[in-house]
Amino acid sequence: MADKHQHDVPPNPYLEKRRTATEAKALEERVRQLENLLTEKGVVSKKTLDRVVSIYENDLGPLNGAKVVARAWIDAAYRQRLLADATKAIKELGFGGLQGEHMVVVENTATVHNIVACTLCSCYPWPVLGLPPTWYKNPPYRSRIAIDPRGVLIEFGLELDDSIEVRVWDSSAEIRYLVLPERPQGTEEFSEEELAALVTRDSMIGVARVNSFS
Amino acid sequence: MDRIVKAEVADMEGVGALPRRSGELIFHDQWERRAFALGVALHEQGEFSWDDFRKYLIASISASGDISEMLDSSGPGYYEHWLAALEKMLIEKGLITSSKDLVL
Repeated sequence: MADKHQHDVPPNPYLEKRRTATEAKALEERVRQLENLLTEKGVVSKKTLDRVVSIYENDLGPLNGAKVVARAWIDAAYRQRLLADATKAIKELGFGGLQGEHMVVVENTATVHNIVACTLCSCYPWPVLGLPPTWYKNPPYRSRIAIDPRGVLIEFGLELDDSIEVRVWDSSAEIRYLVLPERPQGTEEFSEEELAALVTRDSMIGVARVNSFS
Repeated sequence: MDRIVKAEVADMEGVGALPRRSGELIFHDQWERRAFALGVALHEQGEFSWDDFRKYLIASISASGDISEMLDSSGPGYYEHWLAALEKMLIEKGLITSSKDLVL
């Protein structure tokens, strides 16, 4: 099972679940009837339903941020623009929605590891990362990340060598940080799209690295 | 409708929490997307409150005894419960007369 998914998806038990063809077909039919019934009555339009799916599938997760990171990995000039003025560079890719906040992108290297937090409340770069995870908003992460960042990272499964400098960036109402993670080795042949698929939310908050398998 | 996700939908915690991976929603089949959209769109149009829908969702999941999405289970998954909650909600609000409107 694990080897089957090595280049595809991690062995997430949720993703392993499969309905039988008969079950899936019956459910497909049941929802189709429900949808038709409601659209024919004029209660809801198919266009609205399409839009809801599109919004929640694309804007809820970190897909936009992942695209920004993938572009920065393959395009050195974009990377420079991103590090110089992230708000502008992110807008270049068509991602906006910020209301006066500035985006700052901090780059992980072999010697520096960046982590983003918001010690006061829960400021988060939602136009690129979607909605924040629960732990990001909880007091234990918010208070401990500033005091013991290495210890918190270990709890996330990331043990950093002592030689690596850890920088914690405290988001505010004015400035939202995004981590540009290191491009994993062995991805030289990957397309921009394949690279974006590897980039996780946690890697852009800085509590994880990007692996060459998603 | 604003092009913005509703926190009360996206941020549900505990038993009713949406199946997500790295923040993104997980859908296996197309019907799950449509059922999801029906629930969210009808709520956004003011047909029912999210709290009421969520109560039915949690009740359905709890009654089944486990959150089988998290296991390698052949039992009903999250969106089967979602669909059951949605149908119950729609019957209560008179938007469908009964689930007999549907060939089940």
